[in-house]
Amino acid sequence: MLGIGDIFTVAILRPMLNALLWLYSILGNQYWLAIIVFTVVIRLIMTPLMLPQQRSAKKMQGLQPRLKELQQKYGKDREQLSKEQMKLYKEAGVSPMGGCLPMLIQFPIWIGLYQSIIQALGHQPLQLVGLSQNIYPFLQRLWTEVPLNRFFLGMDLSFTPQQIGGLTFALPILVAFTSWLQSKMMTPTSTDGQAASMTQSMTMMMPLMFGFFSLSFATGLSFYFIVSNIIGIVSQGFISGWEGLKFWKGVSLSSVLGGGARRAASQSPSSKQVETQPTGSQKGTQSGSKDRRKKKRRRKR
Amino acid sequence: MTQRSRIIGVASSLLLLTVVLSACGGALPAQQWPGLTVAGGTVYVISGSPQQVYLLDAETGVQKGVYMPQGQHKGLVYWSPVTVSDDDLAKSTSEGPLAFVGFSEPQAKIYGLFAFDATTGLEQWSIPAQDLILAAPVYSKGVVYYGSSDGQVYAIDVKTRMVKTGWPFRAKEAIWGAPLVADSQVYVASMDHHVYCLDAETGKLVWDFEAKGAMAVQPVLDAARGVLYVGDFDARVYAIEASSGKAVSGFDFRADNWIWSEALLAGDRLYVSSLDGNLYALDPANGAVVSPYPFDAGNPLRAAPAQSGEVILAASEAGKLTAVNTTNAQPKWQWPSGVPTAAIYTTPVVVDGTVYVVLMNGQVVALQADNGVQRWTFTPPQIG
Repeated sequence: MLGIGDIFTVAILRPMLNALLWLYSILGNQYWLAIIVFTVVIRLIMTPLMLPQQRSAKKMQGLQPRLKELQQKYGKDREQLSKEQMKLYKEAGVSPMGGCLPMLIQFPIWIGLYQSIIQALGHQPLQLVGLSQNIYPFLQRLWTEVPLNRFFLGMDLSFTPQQIGGLTFALPILVAFTSWLQSKMMTPTSTDGQAASMTQSMTMMMPLMFGFFSLSFATGLSFYFIVSNIIGIVSQGFISGWEGLKFWKGVSLSSVLGGGARRAASQSPSSKQVETQPTGSQKGTQSGSKDRRKKKRRRKR
Repeated sequence: MTQRSRIIGVASSLLLLTVVLSACGGALPAQQWPGLTVAGGTVYVISGSPQQVYLLDAETGVQKGVYMPQGQHKGLVYWSPVTVSDDDLAKSTSEGPLAFVGFSEPQAKIYGLFAFDATTGLEQWSIPAQDLILAAPVYSKGVVYYGSSDGQVYAIDVKTRMVKTGWPFRAKEAIWGAPLVADSQVYVASMDHHVYCLDAETGKLVWDFEAKGAMAVQPVLDAARGVLYVGDFDARVYAIEASSGKAVSGFDFRADNWIWSEALLAGDRLYVSSLDGNLYALDPANGAVVSPYPFDAGNPLRAAPAQSGEVILAASEAGKLTAVNTTNAQPKWQWPSGVPTAAIYTTPVVVDGTVYVVLMNGQVVALQADNGVQRWTFTPPQIG
């Protein structure tokens, strides 16, 4: 009976490994290029899953004024507020948890890619032994490619930044930065103070985690994350606009530390954010950026 | 969505992400299978945690000594198998024969060939290298030859402890197979798909042979025919004229997966084990498989075949050692009889009617060669 490990090997590892090896063989024996092309292909395959999430992010932005109205109406009754919010999401066809499925699906991809890199780029004997068992019979011609070219700009793709040192430490920084940028573009600013705070925490914490763990990833895996994030940023930009790319706006030490939802309205003077009139208990809990854009649009009309 | 459910959702997501990312992280699991050598009544095995060279009495399995290069070694270490010198040329300050071993600790940037007294385990001297030494050094007439993972092949004069003039030779990829020294020539197979023939004295290239796949084994010489045999990762075995480096005309053999072990010349046959799980018996003249072979071990065979009388020993990655009858390719005995405890990647050694095997968990087992009955077992102590 097949164990979970065997199922993972057959269903995830082997297809990924062989795809990478095949790409390597047709891309001039450059593994870094194989990883990039592979990433593009994976993102294309996942587009049907990612696109609804990205569109949902845009819809969520459009719902902010109505969410704000609900906040004003039911601010003191959290349970009723939640119910009304869920009703609104349902009417608009938005799932607040819709972003989870694409991420969950990517988990085995990350693990499979990591193991593929170890096996394909193994530079110690025991690392390579497994490779012989995982190449598909119809790709036997790839046996002659071993050992693979592990290097890109002098960097061994199978080593971690901690092992290589020097400029490779830029990779975890890039992983964290692109993750944050993508997350920022996809996450709407919430009018609910506590939810906004939580969203802000997630937006900061997850990229930081990715960056931190990237120190211990093979650099080839960091390549995947960076390219994947860039693709996500570009596609989100086409869907929701490029405002989110202006990451320097609305960023201050306080916003980084988690007060962004409350204080984003008071940042850059060139920001399109317009102060709104807080009412009652909503003082200090609003994000005015959506209201300002709406007001501007009304003025233009 | 209530606040509580949000908190639970966020915390769960972060926890799951942490688990997944930690599964992707960490330094690559770089290991080598343990080396095993038997010489002069002593078993030299790389074992334990941290790994050291254990010197065991070949008859009883009792530990006689250990060897570890001087200094603190806290990082991951790599060893080659031990080689013991066979003449007095190697003795200098040591009382007994010298043993040579490659030792590396990349974290501390230690790479080198180390020489220790083969009887007492006392370190004698060392010569630095620039990369891992994973294949066994070879000793011949006062010179130690060995290859390293940066592709260099060294020749060290044991008396002067200096690299001989004209050496090292540099291949384009790692040397994972031991060199073969014969008739003043050094033959070495490289991961760069080449077999090189070098002058043993000067290190000059005499010829090189290009194979289709990478090679990580020591070539085998049929002195009578003047032919070298070597297997590669393209599942082929090559027969190469030792004098010229040309392929022997008419020799053709290909298995169903990589060949990562030395061939064995026994009788009038060439035995080859493959990662396809088969033990083949070939006609050395043309590579044809001799019926009723191959023997299907059921699991990849990384270890090379070893001969003991009328049987050929095949050790599989599943941890099974099978004594295969040379005439009918049927198992004569198997060890263990029950479920194996660990994989076997290291070639078994047969000396004086005893088969010595080291498992991937570091355990050493001595078996009676005629029937596979266990004589003794050594389990290394786990230190710190």
